[in-house]
Amino acid sequence: MNLITALARLLIFPGLLFAVPAAWFFLWVERKSVAWMQGRIGPPFLQPFYDFIKLLGKTTPSREGIGGLLMRAWPLLAVSSAVGAVALLPVLPSSGGFEGDLILLLALLELPALCIIAAGFSSRSIFGEIGAAREAVMAVAYNVVFLLAVVSIAAAQHTFRLETLAGLPSTPLRWLGLAAILVCLPAKLHINPFSLPNAEQEIYSGPMIEFAGPELAMWELSHGLEWVAGTGLVAALAAPHLAFGWLGPILFVVFSFAIVLLLSTASAATARVAIDTSVRFYWQCTLIFAVLAVSTALLLRVRP
Amino acid sequence: MSYKIPMGPYHPALEEPYKLDMICDGETVCDAKLHIGFNFRGIEHLAETRNYVQVIALMERVCGICSFIHTLTLCQAMEKLTGQTPPPRAQYIRTIMCELERLHSHVLWAGIASKLMGFKTMFMTCFEIREKVMDVLQAISGNRVNYSMNRIGGVNRDIEDPPAVLAMVEALEKEMADKIIPIFTTSATARSRCAGIGVLSHEKAVSCGVVGPNARASGVAQDLRRAAPYAAYKEMEFAVQAQQEGDVRARLLVRALEIMESCKILRQAIAKLPPGEIHTGDPKLVFTPGTATSRVEAPRGEVMYSVTWKENSRNPARVHVRTPTYVNMPAVRWMVLGARLADTPLIQASIDPCYSCTDR
Repeated sequence: MNLITALARLLIFPGLLFAVPAAWFFLWVERKSVAWMQGRIGPPFLQPFYDFIKLLGKTTPSREGIGGLLMRAWPLLAVSSAVGAVALLPVLPSSGGFEGDLILLLALLELPALCIIAAGFSSRSIFGEIGAAREAVMAVAYNVVFLLAVVSIAAAQHTFRLETLAGLPSTPLRWLGLAAILVCLPAKLHINPFSLPNAEQEIYSGPMIEFAGPELAMWELSHGLEWVAGTGLVAALAAPHLAFGWLGPILFVVFSFAIVLLLSTASAATARVAIDTSVRFYWQCTLIFAVLAVSTALLLRVRP
Repeated sequence: MSYKIPMGPYHPALEEPYKLDMICDGETVCDAKLHIGFNFRGIEHLAETRNYVQVIALMERVCGICSFIHTLTLCQAMEKLTGQTPPPRAQYIRTIMCELERLHSHVLWAGIASKLMGFKTMFMTCFEIREKVMDVLQAISGNRVNYSMNRIGGVNRDIEDPPAVLAMVEALEKEMADKIIPIFTTSATARSRCAGIGVLSHEKAVSCGVVGPNARASGVAQDLRRAAPYAAYKEMEFAVQAQQEGDVRARLLVRALEIMESCKILRQAIAKLPPGEIHTGDPKLVFTPGTATSRVEAPRGEVMYSVTWKENSRNPARVHVRTPTYVNMPAVRWMVLGARLADTPLIQASIDPCYSCTDR
């Protein structure tokens, strides 16, 4: 991957220029589908975009005793890392990539969560701190499953290069891994049943409570981008889109869209569960996937 | 490290203003303090400046959900002072309105409880059914919130087409049995949020003197409709629902079962609706000086009115109201002790608090 393709991927496709409208679109799909399931009308198509523009135009009130620079830096860092994660997704055939880009993708996917934790603690609000603490506990719980699932997929096929992984035929182990990733996505995206860090009836909106205006707009955007990156990762690994040439990106978007619908349905059909139940749930999943990942590694050693 | 978390007076989990200061250790609540009185409107004092017709309209505005119950209790107390006895048809219509109001209140509460669990789909389902209950109330009284049904010695409006109301009630019963009750009793996530939390033991329930569904969920099987029947409850067949566990799930179950009992009472009352007048029609009322009290089982528990009249007065000398939330509130402190912070909104809501009644 040379500098020009890297920049094109980061800024045009599937990076910034594609990812931002896709983020708004997925946010709209989530809100609209949940609204339909609940018998409401739901927002108009451009609502996430309107929200973003409206928030950008507002001024943030001055907050005593809070580092203003830090408060601006966290959402920006979250947005840029999420864009980076989307840019790494293998959407176009022969688009480049490098050995180990899966590891970079995982790191970039994790950064927004870290930013939220840091932002909650820097906001110096008791509700922000509780939300951040919850996010931290959740991150420790679901990431074990998430990382083990990704590692077991990659280790089984001898590569940490996304494009190669996406091009290889699916195995039962990969489907199991993808199911595990899907189970982790509600927690990663803060939707029901794991919408604990931003539970508005319990702790207002948790880490976001002290954010307003452009900063909140950036958080909303990073949330949308996380949707694109999270569902995109599953779509990239599950859909055989690379074989379809230039039709691939369309197939990729359709697949991501289906995953968004699936997650929205799950969130509409469940109540928010408490922190200890969530953590217990993920650690029980972990046990199964730890065994799976270890057994894969062992099997690989036996191979010539 | 313990820290204090204020919940309220303005909080997304509360419909009305009150404040719960919680001392927390991590996510566990160690102690809680309740503050009320943010919504004081001086209605009891205003009542002393109104005559016996106006005071009914005033007391209807104490609460938006159980507005019928408040006027019923007031009218019953004033009927004692004037020696009026409502005709049987009026008694039946009062029973029907009471039970529709109970349905309305319980379904609304179920919606709010599900919102606090983060179960917004269930919230929307409940509120959709609540709209239908309000449609029935509107079909009978012409109003959706403040029904203006009660007067001294009877009711203001007749049920002109009982079969139509019966059909609406049966449709409602079907929806309750098909949608609300199964979701609350079978949904795994909903159960994980309700079972075993906010426990109020039988002893504590008795010593705090809690009333209504909260008492019945802690094994205190008391119900004024059975213990001291008013309106036409003496002639109705129904079971007093009680559970022993005392947790949020028990309170939820008691209310769910009461919804079904209410439908049963409604069907009986509409079927047996006797013919005749709907009020005594006495235009000139003479009040005996003295104090009369009346008690009624509101959806949230016992409501008591004490009305005092002086000689030759058109206005009451004193109207005292005791609402169920006022007696249920102290129990919240015992329910939240040792609970998870995430459960406290649900626990405080599980007593079905009504602060506009309490503060008046």
